[in-house]
Amino acid sequence: MAYFIELLVNGALVGLMYALAALGFVLIYKSAGVPNLAQGALVMMAAYLVWYLGSLGLPIWIAIAVGAALMFGFGLLVERLLLRRMVGQPVIMVVMLTLGMEILLRGLIPGVFGAAPKPLDLGIGLAPVIVADVFMNRAYLIGGLVAVLLIAASMLFFRTRLGTKLRAVSDDHVASWAVGLSVERAIGLSWGIAGIAAVGAGVLWGSVQGVDWTLSTLLFPAIAVVILGGVDSIKGVLVGGLAVGILGSVIPGYLDAMVGGSTRDVVTSVIILLTILVRPHGIFGREDIERI
Amino acid sequence: MTGLALSNVEVVYDKVFLAIKGVSLEVGEGEMVALLGSNGAGKSTTLKAISGLLGPERGEITRGEIRFGDTDLRPLGAPARVDRGLVHVLEGRRVFGHLTPDENLVAAYRGGKAERSFEELRDEVYRYFPRLKERARSKAGYLSGGEQQMLAIGRALVTEPKLIMLDEPSLGLAPVLVAEIFAIIREINQKHGLTVLLVEQNAAATLEIVNRAYLIENGQIVMSGEAETLKRNPDVQEFYLGSGGKVDYHAIKHYRRRKRWLA
Ligand SMILES: Nc1ncnc2c1ncn2[C@@H]1O[C@H](COP(=O)(O)OP(=O)(O)O)[C@@H](O)[C@H]1O
Ligand SMILES: [Mg+2]
Repeated sequence: MAYFIELLVNGALVGLMYALAALGFVLIYKSAGVPNLAQGALVMMAAYLVWYLGSLGLPIWIAIAVGAALMFGFGLLVERLLLRRMVGQPVIMVVMLTLGMEILLRGLIPGVFGAAPKPLDLGIGLAPVIVADVFMNRAYLIGGLVAVLLIAASMLFFRTRLGTKLRAVSDDHVASWAVGLSVERAIGLSWGIAGIAAVGAGVLWGSVQGVDWTLSTLLFPAIAVVILGGVDSIKGVLVGGLAVGILGSVIPGYLDAMVGGSTRDVVTSVIILLTILVRPHGIFGREDIERI
Repeated sequence: MTGLALSNVEVVYDKVFLAIKGVSLEVGEGEMVALLGSNGAGKSTTLKAISGLLGPERGEITRGEIRFGDTDLRPLGAPARVDRGLVHVLEGRRVFGHLTPDENLVAAYRGGKAERSFEELRDEVYRYFPRLKERARSKAGYLSGGEQQMLAIGRALVTEPKLIMLDEPSLGLAPVLVAEIFAIIREINQKHGLTVLLVEQNAAATLEIVNRAYLIENGQIVMSGEAETLKRNPDVQEFYLGSGGKVDYHAIKHYRRRKRWLA
């Protein structure tokens, strides 16, 4: 029983950190209406950036703040240089563009900063937190808390006037232009914000497993999270993250010993496939409303 | 001066298809003018040329001038034209379906650039369209066609326009609703001096409320004049007001001939 609870709790915490990686995906979908397959590479890039700034001698918190500002700027730049050319093109073109970006950054960034894993020390410490005999990974605990905070902040943001405008843009670009909304600026802003979310995910995951190209493979669980939760739902990120994390921890926790292999990726893939078959919009995703 | 003037405007889609061929028209400040024509005549293209929405459809103005007051509109993007006081209510309403009516209005509010507060503008929209207030909490995508049209107009009013362009607001609506919406448009025009350019296929109802009208066919303006004059014109009566009612083969041949003459 204690083993089960430990799997459950740590799975939930890891799931929240997946949710953090997935947050940027949903932020962009919810405001620009396109799936961002480069989110994994953004997370990796953010982690490298913060590590690099730290290696220049900046205190870690300053490095994170500067990294967030730079990633925000990078998001704006992506819209300006790439996405703006995609106006009027089918969404599949944008999907391909983001996929190309993911592949490019995966190769480019480790090439520039060095492929060997880099340590990223947040000063969290390694000693597990023990509550009522359950051992919790300290880094996961803090990561989970940060994830909850950032997710809550995003939910509040989409209720503000600015957030409402971004949701309008994702609904209908032409109608947005017609009432004076700058679609380009809205998309740039959403990429900028997704860049900031990537810093959260990159730093936390980087501190757990070191900074190298494998951080970009977080794209895979992140996609599972958003498909399960619903690609445009922040609430869905939270619930989807918890579900993917818990299932990906509890099931391998019992099965791995039996089949002698890592079943986590299998669990993640099954979640993706089952959701698409049973509930294509995910748990909280919006369905396209048939206009009357 | 906030009048609108198009002279000799030509629009090409996909670099090859000439959709409007030298359209000239004027809408004076405070006027209510209609642009009438059948499906595919080039009405929506004309409005998109004015509001700057051709880009996403790979359309382009290849010739002519569009001025709003002293401003040459052609170099401006769509949001900059809204800032100048020009707003376009799109064909098919195009409300933000996943947003509530309230949020639809918020999305159109211009924030720091607005002269009036959001609450003031929203309350005014709900005064014109009380039904919307009742539905303020449901998603706009689930509103009825008439309610969506009201919301689309209300959303445009929140941008504090000087000129509003409406693309077939009567499309698919019951006659009672058309009358209700037209009455409100008329009221906004008369009480608040908002200039209106109304695009319609429904000539009978439209000529009752506008001052003047232009007739467009195959991308060309074929007739224009005071609403009263046009209503008495035999061609208009026959082909736009449908006083004949029946479309027999005879009438169609006649129409072809007449059209050549009109052009
Ligand atoms: N996006 C587009 N691409 C190519 N042709 C178009 C496009 N939009 C309209 N057209 C063509 O331009 C002509 C005028 O269309 P439109 O302005 O929509 O007419 P209306 O609004 O009067 O029904 C039609 O022949 C139509 O097929
Ligand atoms: Mg049309």
